[in-house]
Amino acid sequence: MARMAQPDEPNWIQNSLAGDTEAYAAIVKEHQKMVHAVAFRMTGSLADAEDLTQETFLRAFRQIDSFRGESKFSTWLCQIAVNLGLNWCARENRRDDIHSEWAADAISENDSRGGFPDELSRRVQNALDKLPAKQRAAIVLTIYENQTHAEAAKTLNCTEATVSWRVFTARQKLKRLLKGISHEQF
Amino acid sequence: MNNSELDALLKKARTPEPPEEFWEEFPQQVTRGLNRARTENFRPRQNWFPQLAWGFATAICILAAFAVGHWRGRMEAKASSDVLADATMVRETLAMFPNQVRAIVQDEHGLNLVLSDNADVPASPPIYVSIYDGKHRSSLVTFSGQEIQIAGQKLTVLSDAQGGIILMGNDFAWSSRDPAYAKNDLKIQAKNLGQATM
Repeated sequence: MARMAQPDEPNWIQNSLAGDTEAYAAIVKEHQKMVHAVAFRMTGSLADAEDLTQETFLRAFRQIDSFRGESKFSTWLCQIAVNLGLNWCARENRRDDIHSEWAADAISENDSRGGFPDELSRRVQNALDKLPAKQRAAIVLTIYENQTHAEAAKTLNCTEATVSWRVFTARQKLKRLLKGISHEQF
Repeated sequence: MNNSELDALLKKARTPEPPEEFWEEFPQQVTRGLNRARTENFRPRQNWFPQLAWGFATAICILAAFAVGHWRGRMEAKASSDVLADATMVRETLAMFPNQVRAIVQDEHGLNLVLSDNADVPASPPIYVSIYDGKHRSSLVTFSGQEIQIAGQKLTVLSDAQGGIILMGNDFAWSSRDPAYAKNDLKIQAKNLGQATM
């Protein structure tokens, strides 16, 4: 998702570096929906996405001095969000292993809770949820965030070939899961 | 479904969004979180307090231990060289066990009192003897006529009429009038402590 950087953003970043939380609030306002969407696609849960979004912005503020301006600020934020999302998935997997029955109930509860704007969105998210976390992250970065495989590789701390393989495998799986859906019908 | 169709389908899917009020409030929620985190960052100063207190306490303990060790070292050094020459200490010890003290021995094991079962030790001026065997220095305060084990030697300590001291060992004899006359590896000093300690 290509975004135009807000013209004031460099100043906000500069002021945030000096500890100005009000300037940082402007950055949050600018990027909150994008980060939330990434977090939701990684977690499939509205409540967890909200927590993860907040955690992303808190983490980004603490690490803002490591933002070198080599990429867009939104790309840098997205990198933090995806990695926090991967950590979340790892935690969830461990918890699911321990409480698999409870986890199944939680997933179905999440399904029934809805909140999706339409049926297509719900089914796509359900398909994304079925991907292994690293494949899901690769799809989120390359398809939803329009990152090149090289950029995604940097975010995921792996090789470009690995990202390409994950995207390829994920696509195969998603095609199977979403078979029969034609986006014209929604 | 080819890749382009799949990508288009995926992109068409939207995520559920919290209500608009959430977005209005969210930036403030983040800044509150940051301010809270800052406050917590200050807290470690308070949290450091117990650790600092423990640190100080530990430092004081170490200093105290050092001081005690130093004092003991000095006392031991003093004991090894001076205690038996301390007339007051000798006098008080003798007063505590009248006619029972056969010897007060100071060696590498510390200060030892050799007592007779009965109060049968004759009153006489105490004699100070120090023996260095090349490794350890042992000293004692005893009385003429006493047979004492010291520095691996069984000695009989004698005082002559002129106040001179004679030590009789199993295989040597030593006299304060001829101090060189002893086993080659033993360095002996002896003196009569006189009436001052009585």
